[in-house]
Amino acid sequence: MYEIRFHGRGGQGAVMAAQTIAEAAVYEGLEAIAFPFFGAERRGAPIMAFARIDDKKISLRTQVYQPDMVVVMEESLIEIEPVADGLKPGGCAVVNSKLSPNQIDLGVKARCATVDATSIALEMLKAPIVNTAILGAMARADDFVSIKAVKEAIASRFGEHLGEEAGRINAQAAQMAYEKVSIGESLAQRPITKRKMWLPTWQEMPPGVALYHEKRGEIEVGPGSSWQTRTGTWRTKTPRYLRDKCVRCARCWFICPDAAIKREADDHIDINYDYCKGCGMCASICPAKAIEMTKGAKL
Amino acid sequence: MKVKVLSGDHAVAYAVKMCNVDVIPNYPITPQTLIIEKLSDFVFDGECDATFMPADSEHSAMSMAIGAAATGVRTFTATASQGLALMHEMLYVAPQTRLPIVMANVNRSLGAGSGIWAEYNDSMPERESGWMQCYVEDAQEAFDTIVQAYRLCEDQRVMLPLMMCLDAFVLSHTVEKVLLPEQAEVDAFLPRFRPLNFLDTQNPKFINIAVTPAHSMEMRYQLDHLMRETSSVVDEVDALFGKHFGRSYGGSIQPYRMEDAEHALITLGTATSTARVAVDELRKEGKKVGLIKLKYIRPFPHEQLRKALRGVSSLGVFDRSIAVNGFGPVFTEVRNSCYGMGMPITNHIAGIGGRDLTVATFKGMFEKIMRKEGAGRDCFWHGLRGDM
Amino acid sequence: MVEKAMTIKTMPQEDQLGSGHGACGGCGLSTAVNNVLRILGPDTVVYAPASCLLVFSAAYPISAFKVPFIYSAFENTGAVISGISAGLRKQGKQTYVVGIAGDGGTFDIGLQALAGAAERNDDVLYVCVDNEAYMNTGTQRSGSTPFGAWTTTTPVGSKTQGKRSFKKDMMCVVAGQDVAYAATLSIAHPNDFVKKVEKAKAMRGFRFLHIMTPCTSGWKTDPAVTYDLARLAVETGMWALYEIENGETTVTYRPEEMLPVENYLKLQGRFRHMSKEDIDTLQRWLCKRWDQRYHTDMVSKEEPKGDKELAMCGEETEGL
Repeated sequence: MYEIRFHGRGGQGAVMAAQTIAEAAVYEGLEAIAFPFFGAERRGAPIMAFARIDDKKISLRTQVYQPDMVVVMEESLIEIEPVADGLKPGGCAVVNSKLSPNQIDLGVKARCATVDATSIALEMLKAPIVNTAILGAMARADDFVSIKAVKEAIASRFGEHLGEEAGRINAQAAQMAYEKVSIGESLAQRPITKRKMWLPTWQEMPPGVALYHEKRGEIEVGPGSSWQTRTGTWRTKTPRYLRDKCVRCARCWFICPDAAIKREADDHIDINYDYCKGCGMCASICPAKAIEMTKGAKL
Repeated sequence: MKVKVLSGDHAVAYAVKMCNVDVIPNYPITPQTLIIEKLSDFVFDGECDATFMPADSEHSAMSMAIGAAATGVRTFTATASQGLALMHEMLYVAPQTRLPIVMANVNRSLGAGSGIWAEYNDSMPERESGWMQCYVEDAQEAFDTIVQAYRLCEDQRVMLPLMMCLDAFVLSHTVEKVLLPEQAEVDAFLPRFRPLNFLDTQNPKFINIAVTPAHSMEMRYQLDHLMRETSSVVDEVDALFGKHFGRSYGGSIQPYRMEDAEHALITLGTATSTARVAVDELRKEGKKVGLIKLKYIRPFPHEQLRKALRGVSSLGVFDRSIAVNGFGPVFTEVRNSCYGMGMPITNHIAGIGGRDLTVATFKGMFEKIMRKEGAGRDCFWHGLRGDM
Repeated sequence: MVEKAMTIKTMPQEDQLGSGHGACGGCGLSTAVNNVLRILGPDTVVYAPASCLLVFSAAYPISAFKVPFIYSAFENTGAVISGISAGLRKQGKQTYVVGIAGDGGTFDIGLQALAGAAERNDDVLYVCVDNEAYMNTGTQRSGSTPFGAWTTTTPVGSKTQGKRSFKKDMMCVVAGQDVAYAATLSIAHPNDFVKKVEKAKAMRGFRFLHIMTPCTSGWKTDPAVTYDLARLAVETGMWALYEIENGETTVTYRPEEMLPVENYLKLQGRFRHMSKEDIDTLQRWLCKRWDQRYHTDMVSKEEPKGDKELAMCGEETEGL
């Protein structure tokens, strides 16, 4: 049995990637299942998807806890998710990154494949949709499925959704990624820390699906407790505030969907990067071009 | 104390008025209409201070009740059959959020092949919702049980909603003598409502948000455990009511001539009254028969029932509904509860769709129970045309 | 002396929907809800039905709402807020009661409960955040989805492409019931937005605020264009800004000229497939509505100047 865990962001196509790798495995005469983490995460939020491949019918329907392969569709996820958690000894990681494998700190020493899937996607697809490039890299990183089958599965699956031409170009993106993969060993410097949760026993749980704002276990719960989720980690573009140009109209403050802009006493503003998702609405509403969007998660 | 001649529905309305209910969302359905019409009269005449809220449907009526109860006020609504079915989705919210709403459900058969007459296939499926559920047999008991219900539901150890069921027409529209206590007596019995979960901007709380698999299971167990613990409070409140008003109903169950009974029948609702006559007649013939009125099906009185059934060699269970391709739901509950007690237990279905229940119907049940008939075939329909 | 209307410069700044919620980047709905709640303030109780808003802001044990919040089902916003209001008023509390539902929860499954609350004129504020499809379940069509739009249940097929019927006129449905106040709002017109929320807040009885909230995921758009879409919707007639008070309709913002709907459609993936013929059909429908909407009788005698209040240091910024 070969088990894969995908780490991506809502909207990046991690679920589609998991389904496609399963389809590729079936083309190879194997059995496979693929499934998402059944949640309600929105575009940009960290999400997971899973695939399981075997040469006989797969009975396991549980989530994957000890993957043979982890796939990280965006490098920044390593900072916020325990992506290497449970990775089997001898398992491997596939990371979308410009860096070489020995610069990737997964928190464990493991075989690691990196590929700049974003650049490949931008070149081939004219959009940063990395899932097909990642699939090509996966075929190279470990020999559980051939690149030929992966390309066939992409052509079929993406072709069905987006048209034949799109299927063909996406298969080419996979081929290019397959050729450009670097393979090495990851670093084990960061601790693998899991998200803090409050998991009370039934006796500890206050009655009636109801909570006040209070500390429970290691976290705050109840009304107004969402501040603990640093949605700034979702950011791929970052607003830069040009104070001198600001006309102090407060429209950016009004339009920010994440309440990540604070007004100073004189209505100059302060962007809270802990929560700014980098959507760019502030820049588009600004009448004075006092906010500009820059590429990347940081200024 | 006042003596009145009231229908079951009107007895409910009087009780609601005397319990100082704050908000009454409602939607009319036969045979519940007498309840809300009477309450309208009380409100429009200024005799009752409640906010009377005509809803656009039973679904909305229950939604309003949940909204109102979530602010910490005393809430009442009433429905029947299709109306209860339309509420189904919302019913599950009240127990989980611990909102002690009291509702009267006038039992009426549900679905095609039925009319507006008594059957329990409307309320029985709601046993799983987390509502307390009880059945009453006369107008006095309907009045008294509403009063008890607020005390029980609002008990700090309970905080659950309750559905009091009364039979269509046989009780809802039948008039009889009802003793109405003085308002001061009811006030003395019912403490001020101190809600558990309520929306208060001075001390904000959320009540029910999205819940993932990480927390649902503990919540469900908590509710299940709570309901089991509540059975003793039911008995306690009934005993306390007895002290205050000089009348009580045995709490969860009410045995009749069970002291030395060898053959017993379990009934609920108005059927109990007629069945008592059958017991009396059979006793005159020297038959050692007895009766247990199962008043509360939620919380289910496991211990009380097993205790009352000690010494019984053959047991029958009356059901006024059928879980298609299964058994009557009361039978299923009782047999599960009495597992291992050894006596044969048979199911006796009768009164479906409101078909009249006579003394002969119940004597017919006792005949089969006394003969211990039914090993291997333990579900009998009484009054059915054609062979089973 | 008439008090000056509230503007974004003078509105309360305290957030009641805090940071850290999980809405998509560029979510128009979050902007709308946050600002409605800023204006209503801390003495407010919020009900949300099953919706994106519920899921991204309130998942046990964490909630982004700082004010008391309750949820129960999908189709009952009008009913639950009526119940909450009745309960609070019975206790003599004047707390604001707001229900915030999407277009599915308002136009379709929640219409009956909404109509009940409106007819009873219950003392509640009903906010419809309209993103023109069932976004929480993955973009299925609703009664609000515009003509021609792709959704997962109006796909671009080889036989039929996109939705074949037009958007329901929800304001008409609500305003037909003598409600205290009904208004349409846009996040691209902040001062108009603020003024209407403030006005609704000060009233008693049933108040309905209908806010168009572009959805980056469901409309298949770049998050950065959420604001531009909200603005273009008004300029093309896909959305209009007006209010209905005592049965009188007042247009609160009138575009100088009608922009072709194509300007709006071309920014969105959900309309990308639309044929010339379909675009013309939509344009004709819009022209008809434009003429009805901006008929001279319906325009306020006081030509809307409200947004001029915004000017900072003497600068005019609205509509730039």
